Amino acid sequence: VVPGETALAFYKAKNPTDKPVIGISTYNVVPFEAGQYFNKIQCFCFEEQRLNPQEEVDMPVFFYIDPEFAEDPKMAKVDLITLSYTFFEAKEGQKLPLPGYQ
Amino acid sequence: MSTAMNFSSKSFTPRPPDKGAFPLDHFGECSAFKERFMECLRHSGYESAACRQSAMAYLECRMDRRVAQLMANEPLEKLGFKDLINEKSEEKPEKS
Repeated sequence: VVPGETALAFYKAKNPTDKPVIGISTYNVVPFEAGQYFNKIQCFCFEEQRLNPQEEVDMPVFFYIDPEFAEDPKMAKVDLITLSYTFFEAKEGQKLPLPGYQ
Repeated sequence: MSTAMNFSSKSFTPRPPDKGAFPLDHFGECSAFKERFMECLRHSGYESAACRQSAMAYLECRMDRRVAQLMANEPLEKLGFKDLINEKSEEKPEKS
């Protein structure tokens, strides 16, 4: 991935149970300092997503790494950035601490 | 997922995506495009830059599916595909 260039990535999720599941996901970026350069244009996260029994879906993320990343001396040794998602089962009344989204 | 159980006072604050969330493609309407993109990635040794045409095709598929509203219509230049669009329009006269 080249900083400044938009890129597409796919994750896959499956609901192995026999009941529909409503999930909501949040993400994490490692190394921590690279997180500030990670910009998501569109993704599947933060909104409740429903997965029917046995359903398997592709989950896209459309993003780019801020070109400033290449200028940051602290990032000089970083050649691998890992983006991970964690799915939680959405429970009624539970709200993720989001900065003014939704 | 890293936790905040360390001595640093920094914690990772997730940011929402610029253009919101992708609704799920429950019926796999754009799966073929996704497969083509993944094939391209495998062949190119996972070089994202080599597969931008396929990525663009996938996003176009999402935007075309207005009924399912898989993605709001957005001019492709704004999504970082400006150079690829110019290539596309240059090719067309030659093909006819």
